Amino acid sequence: MKLFDIKLVFSQIPTILSALPITIELTIIATLIGYLLGLVLALVKIHKTPVLRQIAVAYISIIRGTPILVQLYITYYGIPLMLKHHNLTYGTNYNINAIPAIVFAIIALGLNQSAFDAEVIRASIQSVDKGQVEAAKTLGMSGGQILRRVILPQAVVVALPSLGNSLISLIKGTSLAFTVAVVDLTAEGRILAGRNFRYFEVYCSLAIIYWVITVVLENMFKILENKFSIPDQPPVIAPEKVSGGVVK
Amino acid sequence: MSYIEIRGLCKKFGDNVILDHVDLDIEKGEVVAIIGPSGTGKSTLLRCLNLLETPEGGTIKVDGREYDLTTKDGKVKRNLRRESSMVFQQFNLIKHKNSLQNVEEGLRVVKRLGKDEARKKALAELENVGMADRLYHFPKHLSGGQQQRVAIARALAMEPNLLLMDEPTSALDPELVGEVLLTIRKAAKAGNTTLLVTHEMNFVKSVANKIIFLENGKVVACGTPKEIFGYPSNERLKEFLAKIHMLEGAEYNI
Ligand SMILES: Nc1ncnc2c1ncn2[C@@H]1O[C@H](COP(=O)(O)OP(=O)(O)OP(=O)(O)O)[C@@H](O)[C@H]1O
Ligand SMILES: [Mg+2]
Repeated sequence: MKLFDIKLVFSQIPTILSALPITIELTIIATLIGYLLGLVLALVKIHKTPVLRQIAVAYISIIRGTPILVQLYITYYGIPLMLKHHNLTYGTNYNINAIPAIVFAIIALGLNQSAFDAEVIRASIQSVDKGQVEAAKTLGMSGGQILRRVILPQAVVVALPSLGNSLISLIKGTSLAFTVAVVDLTAEGRILAGRNFRYFEVYCSLAIIYWVITVVLENMFKILENKFSIPDQPPVIAPEKVSGGVVK
Repeated sequence: MSYIEIRGLCKKFGDNVILDHVDLDIEKGEVVAIIGPSGTGKSTLLRCLNLLETPEGGTIKVDGREYDLTTKDGKVKRNLRRESSMVFQQFNLIKHKNSLQNVEEGLRVVKRLGKDEARKKALAELENVGMADRLYHFPKHLSGGQQQRVAIARALAMEPNLLLMDEPTSALDPELVGEVLLTIRKAAKAGNTTLLVTHEMNFVKSVANKIIFLENGKVVACGTPKEIFGYPSNERLKEFLAKIHMLEGAEYNI
């Protein structure tokens, strides 16, 4: 038996990739939860809504101050407890065992993301210059219209690099989902290794897979950034159209 | 009854009284200029009229429609804001929209015009301010004067009953002031009821129908350019004009 089977590192990648859809599902849903809840938290903090603001501040502080692994276990054990409590108090009949494991992982990762994204989104919203908001107000636009049409499109450009980073760390965070019995890429690899005892080779395969995914994502974010930002060069002015600048 | 009637406008910042029961009448098509020393509340006055600041008291009547300037009702606020348009010192164009989109924005979103109608109107307004050759330029690709002309087109496209301008040429390089003043003059001649704050006294003299001298939150003097610059009766006004070398009496000239 070879000490290190480099061919196996590559040849078992397709087998491991059978769990790719789970990792992608986990990532996409948790990211969406993170962005949406992050936006809500950011708005609450910016508008200084009483009570809600304090809750948001405490929430962000707790989530950022605890390891993601601990958060996964808290959701994994906590949600069934809450449902049991609900069943006992209100006589409901939720079947706790029917909840797929991935739900716990999605909730934990989504909540975790939201705390980090909230700060990024808040900073980028506040970076949009207030004069434009005032101009939009004087046009008669409503708060929601101003948020959607003036603030967010510009905040997104500012936030994209950081949101990209947070997505990349989330992808890697999904590799902890196996601890709550989700069969993601990492779990699939461990199962494989449990059969052929090639642990080192499996983790090398996993490293390659995660790295490729990350590089692809980084490039996607670069393309998005280019798409959303204002071009460096102005369009060419057709010579016959130049009116000399000053009003006649 | 005047076309626009402002009554009892009061505004404080903390304990500082900035506007002290200001009353102001503007007739339809009139160009009224506000002059006065720095920090006297000129910008604040304009900003209270479209509720960028919330005054402590006051009402405004536009063509018979009366609004309470202290209202908290979002819908009333938006309706009041639609009566006027504002041109800012810093232009305040929306940075991720090009000239055309900046002018179309209010037409589409607030006035709810159809696509073609909004486009037609925006094109006409941009043509009017001499910006038809830069429809697809973003603000960062335009000079200050060009940005301000787009901003004026945006304001006029909304067909406001009152056009508010707060030092529209103060942020511009000297060689760009002329093109913007020409644009404003054209808008004034076209019959837009205008309330204008500016330090361009020669411009005020030739364009304004009426001049208001504001000091310490009060209207201290009010009259035609001739009355204000030619025969100022108020001592404070005389001092102010002397300071900016606009007093015509020989004794004050240096
Ligand atoms: N947001 C604010 N908070 C507190 N005080 C303010 C605020 N805005 C303006 N002020 C004060 O109100 C007074 C009037 O300011 P305003 O900007 O209306 O003056 P102005 O007449 O437009 O002056 P300028 O000619 O320099 O533009 C000033 O003393 C200023 O310090
Ligand atoms: Mg001012």
